[in-house]
Amino acid sequence: MAQMKFLCDAERCIECNGCVTACKNANETEWGVQRRRVVTLDDGKPSEVSISVACMHCDDAPCMAVCPTDCFYKTDDGIVLHDKDICIGCGYCLYACPFGAPQFPQQGAFGERGKMDKCTFCAGGPAESPEEEFEKYGANRISEGKLPLCAEMCSTKALLAGDAETVSDIFRQRVVYRGHEDGAWSPVDKASHPETSANLTTSSVQQADHLAYDAARKG
Amino acid sequence: MRLTPTPSAKETSGLGINRRQFLKRSGVATGGLAAASFMAAPMMKRAEAKTEVSDAPVETKRTICSHCSVGCGVYAEVQEGVWTKQEPAFDHPFNRGAHCAKGASLREHGHSDRRLKYPMKLEGGKWKKLSWEQAIEEVGDKVLELTKEHGPDSIYWLGSAKFSNEQAYLMRKFAALFGTNNVDHQARICHSTTVAGVANTWGYGAMTNSFNDMHNCRSILFIGSNPSEAHPVAMQHILLAKERSNAEIIVVDPRFTRTAAKANKYVRLRPGTDVAYIWGLLWHIFENGWEDEAYIQQRVYGMDEVRAEVAKFPPAEVERITGVAEADMLDVARRLSQNRPGSVVWCMGGTQHTTGNNNTRAYCILELALGNIGKSGGGANIFRGHDNVQGATDLGLMSHSLPGYYGLSEGAWKHWSKVWNVDYEWIQNRYDQTEYHDGKPMHTNGITVSRWVDGVLENPDRISQRTALKAMFYWGHAVNSQTRGPEMKKAMAKLDMMVVVDPYPTIAAVMHDRTDGVYLLPAATQFETTGSVTNSSRSLQWRDQVIEPMFESKPDHEIMYLLSRKLGFADELFRNIKVEGSVPVVEDITREFNAGMWTVGYTAQSPERLKAHQQNWHTFDFETLKARGGPANGDFYGLPWPCWGTPEMGHPGSPILYDTSKTVAEGGGNFRARYGVEHNGTNILAEGSWSKGAEIEDGYPEFTDKLLKQLGWWDDLTAEEKQAAEGKNWKTDLSGGIQRVCIKHGCMPYGNAKARALVWTFPDPIPKHREPLYTARRDLVKDYPTWPDSESIYRLPTLYASIQEKDVSAKYPITLTSGRLVEYEGGGEETRSIPWLAELQQEMFVEINPALANDQGIKDGDMVWVEGAEGGRVKVMAMVTERVGPDVVFMPFHFGGHYEGESLESRYPEGTVPYVLGESANTATTYGYDPVTLMQETKVTLCRVSRVSLA
Amino acid sequence: MRAHFTASRLTVVAMFLCLMLASLWLAPQALAANPDGEIGQAVGTVDADTWRQVKNGGNSIDSRHDSNYSLINQSGETWRQIRNRWISPGGLIALGGMLAVLVIFYLLVGRNNLDHPRSGKLMLRWTALERAMHWTLATLFLTLAITGINLLWGKFVFRNVFGDVFWANMIMATKVIHNYVGPLFSIMLILVLAKWLKLNLPKKHDLDWFRQGGGMMKGKHPDAGFANGGEKAWYWILATVGLVVIASGLVLDFPIFGQTRDNMQWANVFHGIASLMLIAVSFGHIYIGTAGTEGAFEGMKTGYVDETWAKQHHNLWYDEVKQAEAADPAADPATAPDDSLARQQRPN
Repeated sequence: MAQMKFLCDAERCIECNGCVTACKNANETEWGVQRRRVVTLDDGKPSEVSISVACMHCDDAPCMAVCPTDCFYKTDDGIVLHDKDICIGCGYCLYACPFGAPQFPQQGAFGERGKMDKCTFCAGGPAESPEEEFEKYGANRISEGKLPLCAEMCSTKALLAGDAETVSDIFRQRVVYRGHEDGAWSPVDKASHPETSANLTTSSVQQADHLAYDAARKG
Repeated sequence: MRLTPTPSAKETSGLGINRRQFLKRSGVATGGLAAASFMAAPMMKRAEAKTEVSDAPVETKRTICSHCSVGCGVYAEVQEGVWTKQEPAFDHPFNRGAHCAKGASLREHGHSDRRLKYPMKLEGGKWKKLSWEQAIEEVGDKVLELTKEHGPDSIYWLGSAKFSNEQAYLMRKFAALFGTNNVDHQARICHSTTVAGVANTWGYGAMTNSFNDMHNCRSILFIGSNPSEAHPVAMQHILLAKERSNAEIIVVDPRFTRTAAKANKYVRLRPGTDVAYIWGLLWHIFENGWEDEAYIQQRVYGMDEVRAEVAKFPPAEVERITGVAEADMLDVARRLSQNRPGSVVWCMGGTQHTTGNNNTRAYCILELALGNIGKSGGGANIFRGHDNVQGATDLGLMSHSLPGYYGLSEGAWKHWSKVWNVDYEWIQNRYDQTEYHDGKPMHTNGITVSRWVDGVLENPDRISQRTALKAMFYWGHAVNSQTRGPEMKKAMAKLDMMVVVDPYPTIAAVMHDRTDGVYLLPAATQFETTGSVTNSSRSLQWRDQVIEPMFESKPDHEIMYLLSRKLGFADELFRNIKVEGSVPVVEDITREFNAGMWTVGYTAQSPERLKAHQQNWHTFDFETLKARGGPANGDFYGLPWPCWGTPEMGHPGSPILYDTSKTVAEGGGNFRARYGVEHNGTNILAEGSWSKGAEIEDGYPEFTDKLLKQLGWWDDLTAEEKQAAEGKNWKTDLSGGIQRVCIKHGCMPYGNAKARALVWTFPDPIPKHREPLYTARRDLVKDYPTWPDSESIYRLPTLYASIQEKDVSAKYPITLTSGRLVEYEGGGEETRSIPWLAELQQEMFVEINPALANDQGIKDGDMVWVEGAEGGRVKVMAMVTERVGPDVVFMPFHFGGHYEGESLESRYPEGTVPYVLGESANTATTYGYDPVTLMQETKVTLCRVSRVSLA
Repeated sequence: MRAHFTASRLTVVAMFLCLMLASLWLAPQALAANPDGEIGQAVGTVDADTWRQVKNGGNSIDSRHDSNYSLINQSGETWRQIRNRWISPGGLIALGGMLAVLVIFYLLVGRNNLDHPRSGKLMLRWTALERAMHWTLATLFLTLAITGINLLWGKFVFRNVFGDVFWANMIMATKVIHNYVGPLFSIMLILVLAKWLKLNLPKKHDLDWFRQGGGMMKGKHPDAGFANGGEKAWYWILATVGLVVIASGLVLDFPIFGQTRDNMQWANVFHGIASLMLIAVSFGHIYIGTAGTEGAFEGMKTGYVDETWAKQHHNLWYDEVKQAEAADPAADPATAPDDSLARQQRPN
């Protein structure tokens, strides 16, 4: 059983916000609701690093555990979805979510929260018709054999989506040829890392990179 | 815990009406269950209606992103004329499906409600709707009236880098037949100094290699370039270079950019000191003997003079000028020298300077010294800005040349009049025949886009044409991307007529204080028409029409037809081009420029070949861009120019310029022989270097009929070709025979010469460091002064020394620089009208270093006034960040719609206000123009920053 | 009698068994999530320093406009654990325990009957306004308690029993009612607290009252004024814990005043603990006011209590009222049930 996951390769993320916008394109969320966000740490400093985050579709999802209405469910692919018909906009999932994924369109004079909205891994949600599904949850690309648009459109292929093992494999291969245990590129001294560049055959390097592309294409 | 969605859970609603109808009626989306609820659930209100999901058949169109010059492919899915989905083009050789924020937002273009919807005019301070007929009639009458009274040079045709190649070409031809060279586009304020500097160094002013070829770089020097924000998809290739070959990424910039965050080495440079910086690198390279001596010997002219200049820049002096310490200079020089081939990348940070042409040539000289040009993994990879700024430049939408860089000489006119099938004399008669300071207007450079403001405001006696400008056409132009906002406002007030032709009203519609005489004509975007577009790496790509023009908008070429018909030269303009109804056939325009663009090799990219490439993206290799099998077998993707000869000749295009490792027939080449065969008695043709397989194994001049005869190759021409080639050269032989025969013998039609490190025709033959006009370093002005004032450049007096001499650094001590953000493009009207993007950047800001902020009592998020050295000021939010140094502040230039603290929102025609407005950075920028191209200075000026008082 | 007693005990045992089963059922819900693991999987190439920073939520910016969410919401998991592992089962134990204690107490001790026959003479204890206020507050309280309990535990019962459609409507109604009744309750509680503040100021004899267990164990009746120690305790619980409930509830109810996610997590924790405490204590209040004490309920129902009841439970008040009557014999307590009269009858 596939376990769908995102993986953001922070060494490649350039904070172009392509993923954020691709999500808007796929799901047409309203102004103010961005299912995916890019967080940049130490903005403007040498240690600057950007990471694209959305719902991580956690194995043990805190949102599911705390939801008073039990509106969440996990699909066979490990995607955490929720039923907006049952959601009451209480905000508990937001309190519990480690990644700030749930968002609530504000409405009413008292600022009452609307139905929660979050990343669906482009897998839509429970609805009677495709129209209703798109209206409420946005695209269902998974049913078309496609992966989330954010990852498919990532400008530098930093954001990967797919089966957890596949995306981890792609990432591990990148780590190998970058030559640093954290997955960062090794420092300048190439002589001490002969395996990182010249000696590594181009084909294996390319393969690691193409996998991302293939994984993104295959779904 | 459920594992799968259970359909049984979704009971139908109990409402008497169909749920869909209910939703439509109520205008909200709500749950099926909630709809059945006895109590109204909090409902999801949508700011904008969602795209309807429908079962209608899907048509997939292939188009190209219009937001930058990388040229990303896009699959647009259209149902019943509505652009319903945008799918990543994984098989596209440039982007492999990837997009930045702008590319990912393309589909919204097909839904935007902030567009200009119908022709309008400003009458008594109110916008009034017009029909197209009325609009063309009124605008045309005024143009005719002004032409009669003041001559054709009183009208300015400001075109666009967002035109397709066909539209750009047509616009230039339009101006030519109208009788003026007062036509230009944004390349002037983008890479004009690159085009001039680079073309004069080695032949062509364009990116030498491709984005994909950058995978092979062992080092990449970014100077004045920030691809993470300006060309994000290029970063895919750049990061691959970093990963695959452990390439050194070096970023030299006054700001610690997002690209710097991915670099191995970042160097903070004082703005406007690029030449000194490059000379500082070369000092170490020469000192350590790291230059490529053999390469220089064979392929470079003038390096000795460079050495003499570089000798004046020892480490201490470089540090004094640039602020970069010796160790950092040496470190970068070593990284570049030890990691070859390497590439240099520059953008607006290098070009938009008073000294722009010096900067671009200095970068070239560095690459020549390292022997990096003409090699895979090397090159001067100049990332262009707009999607078609390269194509529009090539196709001559400029005031100083006809299409194909032919210039404005009589020969150039005769060449093109022959291609156009229009009498040369007829065209001549369209022009003002008077001789002015610069010469006759037909043969003298027109006023540039950077200085139309001066063309309006300058004393007419000092302008090298009959009168000042009386009417402006802003045909796809963001005026807020130009410097000197307050002066521009004055110029707008003085004009007799302003015509904005654009999908959006643009800042030109709102920043003036006029109450009359402004026309807005809605133009279609590139997704509403078809045509070709040239990306930064010279590849031409064909765009499908995705949707019909929205609202009442029309494609630009149709508007040109309507206007030319009204102005009475449609017959001449469209002699070779079929017009269906009022829409010129795009392919006919392509074929016409194919017939004349011999200089740059735009001749073999026929619509048929381009469409074959477009339909077969998947056959092109991601590494080499070469098609493996398929209909385009052997071609390089997009037939990167020069693509020699006729389409039938089947030249594959040139993916890497001046690459001697390949035959010319395979896309190889060498430096161009453009400046004669010798200079000061020294041979400037190549020595002992030639492209693979050339039958002349040494340097040689450009080909003419005479040279062919001398070499005994004349009889390789067919009888017809002989007839056409007689008395012609490789640039003017319309049969393409000379080029064909040259290439048959392995030779480059344009000859084989050395690159020029010494450009004797330029104000500084060897690039010199010159202090910016507005500089806080008065101590350096004496040693590195700017040029003396000039009486006339491009028809206008141009100031240098008289501005630099005035010391304003006491009042304005801080250096102001500007740049861009990833979410917006250019003046930003289009992108700020796309909610998905506007949401990401809602506030105009200025970046201020914490130290400066503390000195000024400014906190992050405070509103501040930034006042430029000429008094223009903007009220913006302070972003306190270490991204900039303590003596520099930075503003993005994409905002507009506020002016010196006032919102101009009420001046927009109803329903066209972009989602986000803000101050234009250029309200605070100042005077300063490159002496070769009149590039504007946007990157170095002075300003002061103060907190907006709460009172 | 004996058989009855045994049956009751069995009931109690059964209840405890139920509680244990319930907590077993809740246990799997309290599994720990692993946000670090998730993000470790989801974000490659982050070095140790950055990790620390990610976890500490240091200097960062966000593509969401005005967002102040750090990359990892570290406190989210803490909140979840507090809520799911402690508050939820703890609340169940508190409420169930309180019920059980009351049942056992009732079974063991039985009703606190009047020691002497009713005198037939009535005393005005609660005016109409006061009764109205009490019952309004009580209704609001019960509504909030029931809806609150449904928000906490309802999903374990009703969705499974009645299906999604019923549950969706029920829980939405629950939330709407809870959110709109909450502010009304807040206002009412504050009015009630203000009105009865003077009656509930602690006195020295209240200490003795507590020392003697309020006379719950039959026999003695410690001294008590208009409000005895127990009532005062309930008052002050409402005035403290109740205010916590109100304040935290309002923070949660109107999320538009810039309160952060962390603020709301804490508000939710306080709200949960405090309101469950209140509900548990309210069980005692309800028991004492109804089944537990003969004659107490009629006081709040009619406003009048029998003198015998007053003498037994509120001897000091009884004495004072009698003294006042003696001073002003014209007044007839049985005929003028209004506030001014009530004030006369309440010396403190």
